Amino acid sequence: MMDVIAVILLFCGLFFFTGGAVGIIRFPDFYSRLHPAGKLDTAGLLMAMAGMALHTIHDLSMSSLFTGFKILLIVVFVFITSPTATHAIIDAGVRAGLRPWTKKEKEEHP
Amino acid sequence: MRILGLVIVILCGSILIYHTSDFPDWGHPASPASTHVSPYYIEKALDDTAVPNIVTAVLADYRGYDTMFETTVIFCAGIACFFLLRITRRMEPSVTLYRHLPTGITLRIEKGGKEPDDSNIFKRIDTQWVPYDLIINTTCRMVIPFIQLFALYVISHGHHSPGGGFQGGVILGASVILFAISTDLRTAISRMSERLGAFLSATGVFIYAGAGALCLVLGANFLDYSALAPVLNVNSVMARSHGILIVEIGVGLAVMAVMIWIYYNLSSAGRHDEGL
Repeated sequence: MMDVIAVILLFCGLFFFTGGAVGIIRFPDFYSRLHPAGKLDTAGLLMAMAGMALHTIHDLSMSSLFTGFKILLIVVFVFITSPTATHAIIDAGVRAGLRPWTKKEKEEHP
Repeated sequence: MRILGLVIVILCGSILIYHTSDFPDWGHPASPASTHVSPYYIEKALDDTAVPNIVTAVLADYRGYDTMFETTVIFCAGIACFFLLRITRRMEPSVTLYRHLPTGITLRIEKGGKEPDDSNIFKRIDTQWVPYDLIINTTCRMVIPFIQLFALYVISHGHHSPGGGFQGGVILGASVILFAISTDLRTAISRMSERLGAFLSATGVFIYAGAGALCLVLGANFLDYSALAPVLNVNSVMARSHGILIVEIGVGLAVMAVMIWIYYNLSSAGRHDEGL
């Protein structure tokens, strides 16, 4: 039963990762591309790592519980650092003077 | 002169390439490495050194001499960067920027102007205007202790899992570099000065070579840690395990200090004034 949930979670994670990868390619400009890169990877990691942690604590022994805890720590740190990194990159883009993409602008310069 | 150099290089290179044909094939079962070297390590490493991670045992014990000079190479890289880039002559920047902290106003001071004291009210900022980066500052301040803790874990846990002095040292160095990026170079230098970096990198190499020399003094071969047993008050197998930890600490110190030292020199083009 645990394994089934773990596999479902892993697939959900992969779904988010795929969405992130597609988004990085398909979105029109720098800022909007960072949106899937920052958000979907974080969400996908949460799902995938939760699945792995569930798979690891399968036998409920002390050492496997610790391993699962360590896996969850990865999620905690990525949740702190990944949005900060995205913020820093976007900040750098704004400071360098890159303008956000708008539809209007695209019609003017096709 | 140049042509002479080219001829020598081509000659040496062709001799080397010619003799590679004498090597046994990669992974050949009858090669010396496969017949007695690797099986020895795989079978005896745990009994000899009490280290479950064979890679660490080979790296720091059986092939300790090699690793010692790898550490020396890293030390030399730091020294070379220092001699190539460091500008000790103080160059007055044409413009300096200060931020008045209570109001957030930025002061631009031309050359010759009176500069405010770097106190709690005025803070010098880089010439490429730096806005407030509260989010990045706070996050880095929160994360850096954990990064350093993890680095220490990687160094000390090299006996049982992937890791060791080089990796842990790089993580430690990266944590200080992250601090330098999230605040500015001057703050990082005030926390960890260049002199301390140079001292620590030399200390790291000294710990490694000193551990080897101590074995020599105690009557064994260079870097044969089993001679440390009476000093460490353990049996000779555990002495080798502890000896590996000692040299890993030396490697970690050297790698950390050299990483930071090279970063200081590269990011500010040797001026240690304003950088990244």
